[in-house]
Amino acid sequence: MRTKKANPFDALYSPVAVTASLLALWEIGVRALHVNSVILPPPSEIMQVLIERRGLLLSHLSSSLFLIVCGLALSVVGGVSVAIAFTFSRKLREGVYPILIISQVVPKVAIAPLFIVWFGTGTLPCLLLGFLIAFFPMTINSVLGFQAVDEEIHRMARAFMGSKRQIFWKVQFPNALPYIFSGMKISLTLVIIGDVVSEFVASQEGIGYLIKLAGGLLDTPLMMAAITALSLSGLTLYWMISQLERRFVYWQVDPDSILGAGG
Amino acid sequence: MTALVLTDQSPLPEGQKASLLGTSRAIREECIDATTLQLTNVGKIFDQLEAIRSISLAVAKGEFVSLLGPSGCGKSTLLLMVAGLITPTSGNVIVGGSDVRTPRADVGVVFQTPILLPWRSVLDNVLLPIEFLNLPRKNFIERAYALLKMVRLEDFAGALPRQLSGGMRQRVSICRALINDPSTLLMDEPFSALDAFTRDEMSVDLLRIWQTYQKTIIFVTHSIREAVFLSDRVFVLGNRPATIIDEMKIGLPRPRALEMMEENDFNQYVRHLRCSIEAGHAY
Repeated sequence: MRTKKANPFDALYSPVAVTASLLALWEIGVRALHVNSVILPPPSEIMQVLIERRGLLLSHLSSSLFLIVCGLALSVVGGVSVAIAFTFSRKLREGVYPILIISQVVPKVAIAPLFIVWFGTGTLPCLLLGFLIAFFPMTINSVLGFQAVDEEIHRMARAFMGSKRQIFWKVQFPNALPYIFSGMKISLTLVIIGDVVSEFVASQEGIGYLIKLAGGLLDTPLMMAAITALSLSGLTLYWMISQLERRFVYWQVDPDSILGAGG
Repeated sequence: MTALVLTDQSPLPEGQKASLLGTSRAIREECIDATTLQLTNVGKIFDQLEAIRSISLAVAKGEFVSLLGPSGCGKSTLLLMVAGLITPTSGNVIVGGSDVRTPRADVGVVFQTPILLPWRSVLDNVLLPIEFLNLPRKNFIERAYALLKMVRLEDFAGALPRQLSGGMRQRVSICRALINDPSTLLMDEPFSALDAFTRDEMSVDLLRIWQTYQKTIIFVTHSIREAVFLSDRVFVLGNRPATIIDEMKIGLPRPRALEMMEENDFNQYVRHLRCSIEAGHAY
Protein backbone atom coordinates (compact mmCIF):
# COMPACT_ATOMS: atom_id res chain seq x y z
CA MET A 1 0.00 0.00 0.00
CA ARG A 2 1.26 3.40 -0.88
CA THR A 3 1.00 5.02 2.48
CA LYS A 4 2.69 8.31 1.78
CA LYS A 5 2.89 9.93 -1.59
CA ALA A 6 6.63 10.37 -1.98
CA ASN A 7 7.70 13.54 -3.77
CA PRO A 8 9.44 12.28 -6.92
CA PHE A 9 11.98 15.09 -6.64
CA ASP A 10 13.13 13.96 -3.19
CA ALA A 11 14.82 10.95 -4.72
CA LEU A 12 16.52 13.13 -7.34
CA TYR A 13 18.12 15.46 -4.82
CA SER A 14 21.31 13.45 -4.08
CA PRO A 15 22.10 12.35 -7.65
CA VAL A 16 21.63 15.92 -8.90
CA ALA A 17 23.96 17.25 -6.20
CA VAL A 18 26.64 14.66 -7.05
CA THR A 19 26.34 15.37 -10.79
CA ALA A 20 26.59 19.10 -10.24
CA SER A 21 29.74 18.67 -8.12
CA LEU A 22 31.36 16.45 -10.73
CA LEU A 23 30.57 18.97 -13.50
CA ALA A 24 32.01 21.77 -11.38
CA LEU A 25 35.16 19.72 -10.77
CA TRP A 26 35.46 19.06 -14.52
CA GLU A 27 35.00 22.75 -15.37
CA ILE A 28 37.57 23.90 -12.81
CA GLY A 29 40.04 21.12 -13.66
CA VAL A 30 39.97 21.74 -17.41
CA ARG A 31 40.41 25.51 -16.97
CA ALA A 32 43.11 25.24 -14.31
CA LEU A 33 45.18 22.76 -16.32
CA HIS A 34 44.57 24.61 -19.64
CA VAL A 35 43.39 21.47 -21.39
CA ASN A 36 42.82 21.98 -25.12
CA SER A 37 39.10 21.81 -25.87
CA VAL A 38 39.84 19.37 -28.73
CA ILE A 39 40.90 16.87 -26.06
CA LEU A 40 38.31 17.72 -23.41
CA PRO A 41 36.05 20.78 -23.60
CA PRO A 42 34.67 22.15 -20.32
CA PRO A 43 30.95 21.60 -19.60
CA SER A 44 30.22 25.28 -20.15
CA GLU A 45 31.50 25.06 -23.72
CA ILE A 46 29.40 21.94 -24.37
CA MET A 47 26.42 23.82 -23.00
CA GLN A 48 27.16 26.73 -25.27
CA VAL A 49 27.27 24.44 -28.33
CA LEU A 50 24.00 22.83 -27.23
CA ILE A 51 22.35 26.24 -27.28
CA GLU A 52 24.05 27.85 -30.27
CA ARG A 53 23.85 24.89 -32.63
CA ARG A 54 20.49 23.61 -31.44
CA GLY A 55 19.05 23.68 -34.97
CA LEU A 56 21.69 21.27 -36.27
CA LEU A 57 21.51 19.05 -33.17
CA LEU A 58 17.71 18.94 -33.17
CA SER A 59 17.42 17.97 -36.81
CA HIS A 60 19.82 15.04 -36.35
CA LEU A 61 18.36 14.15 -32.96
CA SER A 62 14.82 14.07 -34.31
CA SER A 63 15.72 11.68 -37.10
CA SER A 64 17.51 9.43 -34.57
CA LEU A 65 14.66 9.59 -32.09
CA PHE A 66 12.17 8.71 -34.79
CA LEU A 67 14.16 5.56 -35.59
CA ILE A 68 14.65 4.74 -31.89
CA VAL A 69 10.96 5.02 -31.10
CA CYS A 70 9.97 3.07 -34.22
CA GLY A 71 12.58 0.38 -33.52
CA LEU A 72 11.42 0.07 -29.94
CA ALA A 73 7.75 -0.10 -30.94
CA LEU A 74 8.54 -2.77 -33.54
CA SER A 75 10.53 -4.81 -31.06
CA VAL A 76 7.79 -4.60 -28.43
CA VAL A 77 5.05 -5.62 -30.85
CA GLY A 78 7.25 -8.27 -32.47
CA GLY A 79 8.67 -9.66 -29.24
CA VAL A 80 5.31 -9.89 -27.47
CA SER A 81 3.67 -11.44 -30.55
CA VAL A 82 6.37 -14.07 -30.92
CA ALA A 83 6.13 -14.82 -27.19
CA ILE A 84 2.35 -15.27 -27.52
CA ALA A 85 2.91 -17.63 -30.45
CA PHE A 86 5.42 -19.61 -28.35
CA THR A 87 2.91 -19.84 -25.51
CA PHE A 88 0.17 -21.25 -27.73
CA SER A 89 2.23 -23.47 -30.03
CA ARG A 90 4.38 -26.09 -28.43
CA LYS A 91 5.91 -27.03 -31.83
CA LEU A 92 6.94 -23.46 -32.50
CA ARG A 93 8.38 -23.10 -29.02
CA GLU A 94 10.40 -26.28 -29.19
CA GLY A 95 11.56 -25.64 -32.75
CA VAL A 96 12.34 -21.93 -32.79
CA TYR A 97 13.09 -20.87 -29.22
CA PRO A 98 16.46 -22.70 -28.97
CA ILE A 99 17.55 -21.25 -32.32
CA LEU A 100 16.59 -17.78 -31.13
CA ILE A 101 18.71 -18.20 -28.01
CA ILE A 102 21.71 -19.60 -29.89
CA SER A 103 21.46 -16.77 -32.45
CA GLN A 104 22.31 -14.36 -29.65
CA VAL A 105 25.95 -15.50 -29.87
CA VAL A 106 26.27 -13.27 -32.95
CA PRO A 107 27.13 -9.71 -31.86
CA LYS A 108 24.51 -7.78 -33.75
CA VAL A 109 26.46 -4.58 -34.26
CA ALA A 110 28.90 -6.68 -36.29
CA ILE A 111 26.08 -7.24 -38.77
CA ALA A 112 25.70 -3.50 -39.45
CA PRO A 113 28.07 -3.43 -42.50
CA LEU A 114 26.25 -6.47 -43.87
CA PHE A 115 23.00 -4.55 -43.65
CA ILE A 116 24.47 -1.84 -45.90
CA VAL A 117 25.19 -4.53 -48.49
CA TRP A 118 21.64 -5.83 -48.23
CA PHE A 119 19.60 -2.68 -47.71
CA GLY A 120 21.92 0.12 -48.82
CA THR A 121 22.41 3.24 -46.72
CA GLY A 122 19.68 5.35 -45.15
CA THR A 123 17.04 4.80 -42.55
CA LEU A 124 16.02 1.21 -43.31
CA PRO A 125 19.23 -0.54 -42.14
CA CYS A 126 19.29 1.68 -39.03
CA LEU A 127 15.73 0.81 -38.16
CA LEU A 128 16.33 -2.89 -38.76
CA LEU A 129 19.47 -3.04 -36.67
CA GLY A 130 17.81 -1.30 -33.74
CA PHE A 131 14.87 -3.67 -34.00
CA LEU A 132 17.09 -6.74 -34.29
CA ILE A 133 19.03 -5.88 -31.14
CA ALA A 134 15.98 -4.99 -29.07
CA PHE A 135 13.70 -7.78 -30.25
CA PHE A 136 15.42 -10.56 -28.32
CA PRO A 137 15.13 -9.22 -24.74
CA MET A 138 11.51 -8.31 -25.46
CA THR A 139 10.75 -11.87 -26.54
CA ILE A 140 12.59 -13.48 -23.64
CA ASN A 141 11.00 -11.23 -21.05
CA SER A 142 7.51 -11.76 -22.45
CA VAL A 143 7.97 -15.53 -22.56
CA LEU A 144 9.19 -15.48 -18.96
CA GLY A 145 6.26 -13.32 -17.93
CA PHE A 146 3.71 -15.61 -19.58
CA GLN A 147 5.29 -18.64 -17.91
CA ALA A 148 5.75 -17.10 -14.48
CA VAL A 149 2.24 -17.94 -13.30
CA ASP A 150 2.16 -20.10 -10.18
CA GLU A 151 0.86 -23.62 -10.62
CA GLU A 152 -1.76 -22.91 -7.97
CA ILE A 153 -3.12 -19.98 -9.97
CA HIS A 154 -3.41 -22.24 -13.01
CA ARG A 155 -5.23 -24.77 -10.86
CA MET A 156 -7.62 -22.13 -9.56
CA ALA A 157 -8.34 -20.98 -13.11
CA ARG A 158 -8.97 -24.54 -14.27
CA ALA A 159 -11.23 -25.19 -11.26
CA PHE A 160 -13.36 -22.25 -12.39
CA MET A 161 -13.53 -23.63 -15.93
CA GLY A 162 -11.13 -21.19 -17.60
CA SER A 163 -10.21 -22.26 -21.13
CA LYS A 164 -6.60 -22.10 -22.30
CA ARG A 165 -7.33 -18.90 -24.21
CA GLN A 166 -9.18 -17.30 -21.30
CA ILE A 167 -6.41 -18.23 -18.89
CA PHE A 168 -3.90 -16.61 -21.23
CA TRP A 169 -5.70 -13.29 -21.61
CA LYS A 170 -7.08 -12.99 -18.09
CA VAL A 171 -4.18 -14.46 -16.13
CA GLN A 172 -0.94 -14.93 -18.05
CA PHE A 173 -1.01 -11.67 -20.01
CA PRO A 174 -1.59 -9.31 -17.07
CA ASN A 175 0.92 -11.34 -15.10
CA ALA A 176 3.51 -10.69 -17.84
CA LEU A 177 3.04 -6.89 -17.89
CA PRO A 178 5.78 -6.15 -15.33
CA TYR A 179 8.13 -8.40 -17.32
CA ILE A 180 7.19 -6.69 -20.58
CA PHE A 181 7.93 -3.27 -19.10
CA SER A 182 11.33 -4.30 -17.77
CA GLY A 183 11.99 -5.80 -21.23
CA MET A 184 11.11 -2.42 -22.74
CA LYS A 185 13.64 -0.68 -20.53
CA ILE A 186 16.39 -3.09 -21.56
CA SER A 187 15.34 -2.82 -25.19
CA LEU A 188 15.38 0.96 -25.10
CA THR A 189 19.09 1.11 -24.25
CA LEU A 190 19.83 -1.56 -26.87
CA VAL A 191 17.84 0.13 -29.62
CA ILE A 192 19.77 3.35 -28.98
CA ILE A 193 23.07 1.48 -29.34
CA GLY A 194 21.87 -0.22 -32.54
CA ASP A 195 20.67 3.04 -33.99
CA VAL A 196 23.86 5.03 -33.27
CA VAL A 197 26.16 2.27 -34.52
CA SER A 198 24.21 1.90 -37.74
CA GLU A 199 24.24 5.67 -38.25
CA PHE A 200 28.03 5.59 -37.91
CA VAL A 201 28.25 3.31 -40.92
CA ALA A 202 25.07 3.56 -42.93
CA SER A 203 23.50 6.97 -42.70
CA GLN A 204 23.79 10.59 -43.78
CA GLU A 205 21.73 11.83 -40.86
CA GLY A 206 21.10 11.17 -37.21
CA ILE A 207 23.08 11.69 -34.03
CA GLY A 208 25.44 8.79 -34.86
CA TYR A 209 26.27 10.43 -38.18
CA LEU A 210 26.75 13.83 -36.50
CA ILE A 211 29.13 12.35 -33.91
CA LYS A 212 31.19 10.70 -36.64
CA LEU A 213 31.20 13.89 -38.71
CA ALA A 214 32.22 16.10 -35.78
CA GLY A 215 34.92 13.57 -34.89
CA GLY A 216 36.35 13.85 -38.40
CA LEU A 217 36.47 17.64 -38.01
CA LEU A 218 38.04 17.36 -34.54
CA ASP A 219 35.04 19.36 -33.28
CA THR A 220 35.04 17.72 -29.83
CA PRO A 221 32.57 20.20 -28.26
CA LEU A 222 30.00 19.32 -30.96
CA MET A 223 30.61 15.59 -30.40
CA MET A 224 30.09 16.01 -26.68
CA ALA A 225 27.00 18.13 -27.26
CA ALA A 226 25.56 15.44 -29.56
CA ILE A 227 26.29 12.73 -26.97
CA THR A 228 24.69 14.86 -24.26
CA ALA A 229 21.59 15.50 -26.34
CA LEU A 230 21.23 11.79 -27.10
CA SER A 231 21.72 10.80 -23.46
CA LEU A 232 19.13 13.27 -22.24
CA SER A 233 16.67 12.00 -24.85
CA GLY A 234 17.33 8.40 -23.77
CA LEU A 235 16.72 9.37 -20.17
CA THR A 236 13.45 11.04 -21.12
CA LEU A 237 12.29 7.95 -23.01
CA TYR A 238 13.19 5.76 -20.04
CA TRP A 239 11.19 8.04 -17.77
CA MET A 240 8.22 7.84 -20.13
CA ILE A 241 8.32 4.04 -20.04
CA SER A 242 8.46 4.16 -16.23
CA GLN A 243 5.38 6.38 -16.20
CA LEU A 244 3.53 3.95 -18.48
CA GLU A 245 4.61 1.11 -16.21
CA ARG A 246 3.21 2.86 -13.15
CA ARG A 247 -0.04 3.36 -14.99
CA PHE A 248 -0.42 -0.22 -16.25
CA VAL A 249 1.24 -2.18 -13.44
CA TYR A 250 -0.75 -0.36 -10.78
CA TRP A 251 -0.98 -3.39 -8.48
CA GLN A 252 2.73 -3.56 -7.84
CA VAL A 253 4.88 -1.34 -5.73
CA ASP A 254 6.98 0.84 -8.02
CA PRO A 255 9.99 -1.33 -8.89
CA ASP A 256 12.06 1.71 -9.89
CA SER A 257 11.53 3.59 -6.67
CA ILE A 258 14.97 4.67 -5.54
CA LEU A 259 13.73 4.94 -1.97
CA GLY A 260 12.34 1.43 -2.18
CA ALA A 261 9.74 2.31 0.42
CA GLY A 262 6.43 2.32 -1.41
CA GLY A 263 5.01 -0.05 0.96
CA MET B 1 -28.81 -38.61 5.27
CA THR B 2 -26.90 -41.76 4.71
CA ALA B 3 -23.29 -42.57 5.07
CA LEU B 4 -21.77 -45.55 3.40
CA VAL B 5 -18.24 -46.39 4.21
CA LEU B 6 -16.98 -49.46 2.44
CA THR B 7 -13.39 -50.35 2.22
CA ASP B 8 -11.89 -53.45 0.73
CA GLN B 9 -9.80 -54.09 3.76
CA SER B 10 -12.61 -54.29 6.26
CA PRO B 11 -11.77 -57.12 8.64
CA LEU B 12 -14.86 -59.17 7.84
CA PRO B 13 -14.99 -62.70 6.45
CA GLU B 14 -15.57 -62.79 2.69
CA GLY B 15 -19.19 -63.91 2.77
CA GLN B 16 -20.28 -61.38 5.31
CA LYS B 17 -18.56 -58.57 3.45
CA ALA B 18 -20.33 -59.48 0.25
CA SER B 19 -23.70 -59.43 1.92
CA LEU B 20 -22.95 -56.12 3.57
CA LEU B 21 -22.00 -54.63 0.25
CA GLY B 22 -25.27 -55.94 -1.15
CA THR B 23 -27.29 -54.34 1.60
CA SER B 24 -25.62 -51.01 1.28
CA ARG B 25 -26.24 -50.98 -2.44
CA ALA B 26 -29.93 -51.39 -1.72
CA ILE B 27 -29.85 -48.52 0.74
CA ARG B 28 -27.96 -46.42 -1.71
CA GLU B 29 -30.59 -46.85 -4.38
CA GLU B 30 -33.29 -45.91 -1.93
CA CYS B 31 -31.83 -42.54 -1.15
CA ILE B 32 -30.50 -41.66 -4.58
CA ASP B 33 -32.48 -38.42 -4.50
CA ALA B 34 -30.78 -37.17 -1.40
CA THR B 35 -27.29 -38.14 -2.45
CA THR B 36 -25.63 -35.44 -4.49
CA LEU B 37 -22.07 -36.62 -4.34
CA GLN B 38 -20.73 -40.11 -4.26
CA LEU B 39 -17.27 -41.65 -4.22
CA THR B 40 -16.94 -45.35 -5.00
CA ASN B 41 -13.68 -47.17 -4.27
CA VAL B 42 -11.67 -44.11 -5.20
CA GLY B 43 -7.94 -44.66 -5.21
CA LYS B 44 -4.94 -42.65 -6.35
CA ILE B 45 -1.40 -43.78 -7.01
CA PHE B 46 1.33 -41.23 -7.75
CA ASP B 47 4.39 -42.88 -9.33
CA GLN B 48 3.93 -46.15 -7.44
CA LEU B 49 3.20 -44.28 -4.24
CA GLU B 50 -0.28 -45.09 -3.08
CA ALA B 51 -1.81 -41.87 -1.73
CA ILE B 52 -5.43 -42.92 -1.43
CA ARG B 53 -6.88 -46.41 -1.19
CA SER B 54 -10.41 -47.37 -1.96
CA ILE B 55 -12.43 -44.57 -0.41
CA SER B 56 -16.18 -44.74 -0.70
CA LEU B 57 -18.54 -42.21 0.73
CA ALA B 58 -21.79 -40.49 -0.08
CA VAL B 59 -22.84 -36.96 0.76
CA ALA B 60 -26.44 -35.84 0.92
CA LYS B 61 -27.71 -32.64 -0.65
CA GLY B 62 -27.22 -29.72 1.71
CA GLU B 63 -25.00 -31.69 4.05
CA PHE B 64 -21.86 -30.27 5.66
CA VAL B 65 -19.21 -32.97 5.67
CA SER B 66 -15.64 -32.69 6.91
CA LEU B 67 -12.68 -34.80 5.94
CA LEU B 68 -10.43 -34.82 8.98
CA GLY B 69 -6.89 -36.10 9.01
CA PRO B 70 -3.27 -35.24 9.74
CA SER B 71 -1.35 -33.03 7.31
CA GLY B 72 -0.14 -34.85 4.24
CA CYS B 73 -2.56 -37.74 4.59
CA GLY B 74 -4.04 -37.23 1.13
CA LYS B 75 -7.27 -35.51 2.07
CA SER B 76 -6.52 -32.54 -0.19
CA THR B 77 -5.80 -34.94 -3.05
CA LEU B 78 -9.19 -36.53 -2.43
CA LEU B 79 -10.86 -33.12 -2.58
CA LEU B 80 -9.07 -32.18 -5.81
CA MET B 81 -10.34 -35.43 -7.33
CA VAL B 82 -13.89 -34.42 -6.41
CA ALA B 83 -13.15 -31.04 -8.03
CA GLY B 84 -12.05 -32.81 -11.22
CA LEU B 85 -8.56 -31.34 -11.01
CA ILE B 86 -6.90 -34.73 -10.40
CA THR B 87 -8.03 -37.94 -12.06
CA PRO B 88 -8.43 -40.93 -9.76
CA THR B 89 -6.38 -44.04 -10.59
CA SER B 90 -9.29 -46.28 -9.67
CA GLY B 91 -12.93 -45.94 -8.71
CA ASN B 92 -15.20 -43.08 -9.66
CA VAL B 93 -16.55 -39.80 -8.40
CA ILE B 94 -20.15 -38.91 -9.14
CA VAL B 95 -21.55 -35.43 -8.59
CA GLY B 96 -25.18 -34.68 -9.35
CA GLY B 97 -25.63 -37.96 -11.20
CA SER B 98 -22.70 -37.77 -13.61
CA ASP B 99 -19.10 -38.84 -13.55
CA VAL B 100 -16.55 -36.16 -12.68
CA ARG B 101 -13.71 -36.02 -15.19
CA THR B 102 -12.98 -32.31 -15.46
CA PRO B 103 -13.89 -29.28 -13.34
CA ARG B 104 -17.57 -28.41 -13.53
CA ALA B 105 -19.65 -25.30 -13.07
CA ASP B 106 -21.86 -26.67 -10.28
CA VAL B 107 -18.87 -27.20 -7.98
CA GLY B 108 -17.08 -24.25 -6.42
CA VAL B 109 -13.63 -24.57 -4.86
CA VAL B 110 -12.01 -22.65 -2.03
CA PHE B 111 -8.31 -23.36 -1.77
CA GLN B 112 -5.94 -23.26 1.17
CA THR B 113 -4.74 -19.81 0.12
CA PRO B 114 -7.10 -17.25 -1.46
CA ILE B 115 -5.28 -17.20 -4.85
CA LEU B 116 -6.77 -13.88 -5.94
CA LEU B 117 -5.47 -12.13 -9.04
CA PRO B 118 -3.52 -9.11 -7.74
CA TRP B 119 -4.48 -6.80 -10.62
CA ARG B 120 -8.20 -7.37 -10.20
CA SER B 121 -10.34 -5.53 -7.70
CA VAL B 122 -12.28 -7.54 -5.13
CA LEU B 123 -15.42 -7.31 -7.28
CA ASP B 124 -13.57 -8.40 -10.44
CA ASN B 125 -11.99 -11.31 -8.60
CA VAL B 126 -15.42 -12.46 -7.44
CA LEU B 127 -16.72 -12.20 -11.01
CA LEU B 128 -13.81 -14.14 -12.55
CA PRO B 129 -15.71 -17.48 -12.78
CA ILE B 130 -18.56 -15.66 -14.56
CA GLU B 131 -16.11 -14.45 -17.21
CA PHE B 132 -14.64 -17.94 -17.54
CA LEU B 133 -18.14 -19.37 -18.00
CA ASN B 134 -18.90 -16.71 -20.67
CA LEU B 135 -21.95 -15.53 -18.75
CA PRO B 136 -23.07 -11.89 -18.92
CA ARG B 137 -21.18 -10.07 -16.18
CA LYS B 138 -23.83 -7.46 -15.53
CA ASN B 139 -26.34 -10.11 -14.47
CA PHE B 140 -24.10 -11.16 -11.61
CA ILE B 141 -22.89 -7.85 -10.22
CA GLU B 142 -25.82 -7.60 -7.85
CA ARG B 143 -25.20 -11.13 -6.60
CA ALA B 144 -21.51 -10.35 -6.15
CA TYR B 145 -22.42 -7.40 -3.92
CA ALA B 146 -24.88 -9.56 -1.98
CA LEU B 147 -22.18 -12.16 -1.37
CA LEU B 148 -19.64 -9.52 -0.36
CA LYS B 149 -22.19 -8.06 2.02
CA MET B 150 -22.68 -11.51 3.52
CA VAL B 151 -18.99 -11.56 4.48
CA ARG B 152 -18.98 -7.85 5.44
CA LEU B 153 -16.80 -6.79 2.52
CA GLU B 154 -19.28 -4.69 0.56
CA ASP B 155 -17.21 -1.56 1.22
CA PHE B 156 -14.14 -3.20 -0.28
CA ALA B 157 -15.54 -4.10 -3.71
CA GLY B 158 -13.16 -1.69 -5.44
CA ALA B 159 -10.09 -2.52 -3.34
CA LEU B 160 -7.12 -4.50 -4.62
CA PRO B 161 -6.27 -7.80 -2.88
CA ARG B 162 -3.01 -6.40 -1.46
CA GLN B 163 -5.07 -3.89 0.52
CA LEU B 164 -6.90 -6.66 2.38
CA SER B 165 -5.92 -8.86 5.32
CA GLY B 166 -5.51 -12.62 4.94
CA GLY B 167 -8.94 -13.34 6.38
CA MET B 168 -10.61 -10.78 4.12
CA ARG B 169 -8.93 -12.28 1.06
CA GLN B 170 -10.12 -15.75 1.96
CA ARG B 171 -13.66 -14.38 2.35
CA VAL B 172 -13.35 -12.91 -1.16
CA SER B 173 -12.34 -16.34 -2.44
CA ILE B 174 -15.43 -17.86 -0.80
CA CYS B 175 -17.59 -15.28 -2.62
CA ARG B 176 -15.80 -16.17 -5.86
CA ALA B 177 -16.59 -19.86 -5.35
CA LEU B 178 -20.28 -19.03 -4.81
CA ILE B 179 -20.80 -16.43 -7.55
CA ASN B 180 -22.32 -18.75 -10.14
CA ASP B 181 -24.45 -20.50 -7.50
CA PRO B 182 -22.88 -23.97 -7.57
CA SER B 183 -24.66 -26.74 -5.68
CA THR B 184 -21.50 -27.92 -3.97
CA LEU B 185 -18.63 -26.13 -2.30
CA LEU B 186 -15.29 -27.87 -1.84
CA MET B 187 -13.02 -26.30 0.75
CA ASP B 188 -9.40 -27.34 1.14
CA GLU B 189 -8.21 -26.30 4.62
CA PRO B 190 -9.42 -22.77 3.84
CA PHE B 191 -8.73 -21.31 7.29
CA SER B 192 -5.45 -23.04 8.07
CA ALA B 193 -3.33 -20.02 7.17
CA LEU B 194 -5.31 -17.69 9.45
CA ASP B 195 -4.85 -16.82 13.11
CA ALA B 196 -7.10 -18.42 15.75
CA PHE B 197 -9.45 -15.45 16.19
CA THR B 198 -9.98 -14.97 12.47
CA ARG B 199 -10.51 -18.70 12.11
CA ASP B 200 -13.36 -18.80 14.62
CA GLU B 201 -14.94 -15.77 13.03
CA MET B 202 -14.66 -17.33 9.58
CA SER B 203 -16.25 -20.56 10.83
CA VAL B 204 -19.29 -18.64 12.01
CA ASP B 205 -19.41 -16.74 8.70
CA LEU B 206 -19.20 -19.98 6.78
CA LEU B 207 -22.09 -21.57 8.68
CA ARG B 208 -24.19 -18.49 8.01
CA ILE B 209 -23.39 -18.69 4.30
CA TRP B 210 -24.12 -22.42 4.29
CA GLN B 211 -27.50 -21.90 5.91
CA THR B 212 -28.43 -18.96 3.71
CA TYR B 213 -27.46 -20.49 0.39
CA GLN B 214 -28.17 -24.18 1.19
CA LYS B 215 -24.97 -25.59 -0.25
CA THR B 216 -23.48 -29.03 0.08
CA ILE B 217 -20.06 -28.50 1.59
CA ILE B 218 -17.08 -30.81 1.78
CA PHE B 219 -14.56 -29.28 4.10
CA VAL B 220 -11.02 -30.59 4.47
CA THR B 221 -9.31 -29.78 7.75
CA HIS B 222 -6.75 -31.00 10.22
CA SER B 223 -8.44 -29.23 13.12
CA ILE B 224 -10.71 -31.54 15.13
CA ARG B 225 -12.53 -28.66 16.80
CA GLU B 226 -13.17 -26.94 13.49
CA ALA B 227 -14.57 -30.18 12.04
CA VAL B 228 -16.89 -30.76 15.01
CA PHE B 229 -18.07 -27.18 15.12
CA LEU B 230 -18.95 -27.00 11.42
CA SER B 231 -20.05 -30.43 10.32
CA ASP B 232 -23.05 -32.70 10.14
CA ARG B 233 -20.68 -35.57 9.64
CA VAL B 234 -16.94 -36.06 9.99
CA PHE B 235 -14.87 -38.65 8.17
CA VAL B 236 -11.53 -39.44 9.77
CA LEU B 237 -8.82 -40.25 7.27
CA GLY B 238 -5.87 -42.43 8.17
CA ASN B 239 -2.39 -42.07 6.86
CA ARG B 240 -0.46 -43.58 3.94
CA PRO B 241 -2.40 -44.55 2.03
CA ALA B 242 -5.42 -42.50 3.04
CA THR B 243 -8.47 -44.55 3.93
CA ILE B 244 -11.52 -43.74 5.99
CA ILE B 245 -10.89 -45.03 9.49
CA ASP B 246 -13.88 -43.52 11.24
CA GLU B 247 -17.07 -41.69 10.56
CA MET B 248 -19.03 -39.67 13.06
CA LYS B 249 -22.34 -37.90 12.92
CA ILE B 250 -22.25 -34.63 14.85
CA GLY B 251 -25.59 -34.21 16.59
CA LEU B 252 -25.02 -30.73 17.98
CA PRO B 253 -28.00 -28.44 17.44
CA ARG B 254 -28.00 -25.70 14.84
CA PRO B 255 -27.48 -22.83 14.48
CA ARG B 256 -24.17 -23.24 16.24
CA ALA B 257 -22.46 -20.51 18.19
CA LEU B 258 -18.84 -20.29 19.28
CA GLU B 259 -19.88 -20.73 22.94
CA MET B 260 -20.75 -24.35 22.14
CA MET B 261 -17.05 -25.09 21.94
CA GLU B 262 -16.90 -24.96 25.74
CA GLU B 263 -19.76 -27.37 26.25
CA ASN B 264 -19.40 -30.97 27.30
CA ASP B 265 -21.18 -32.48 24.29
CA PHE B 266 -18.82 -30.67 21.96
CA ASN B 267 -15.77 -31.87 23.80
CA GLN B 268 -16.98 -35.45 23.83
CA TYR B 269 -17.08 -35.42 20.05
CA VAL B 270 -13.62 -33.91 19.98
CA ARG B 271 -12.30 -36.57 22.37
CA HIS B 272 -13.81 -39.38 20.38
CA LEU B 273 -12.36 -38.10 17.11
CA ARG B 274 -8.95 -37.62 18.70
CA CYS B 275 -9.02 -41.25 19.82
CA SER B 276 -9.85 -42.37 16.28
CA ILE B 277 -6.99 -40.38 14.84
CA GLU B 278 -4.56 -41.74 17.39
CA ALA B 279 -5.79 -45.28 16.81
CA GLY B 280 -5.31 -44.71 13.10
CA HIS B 281 -1.70 -43.77 13.72
CA ALA B 282 -1.12 -46.85 15.83
CA TYR B 283 -1.22 -49.30 12.95
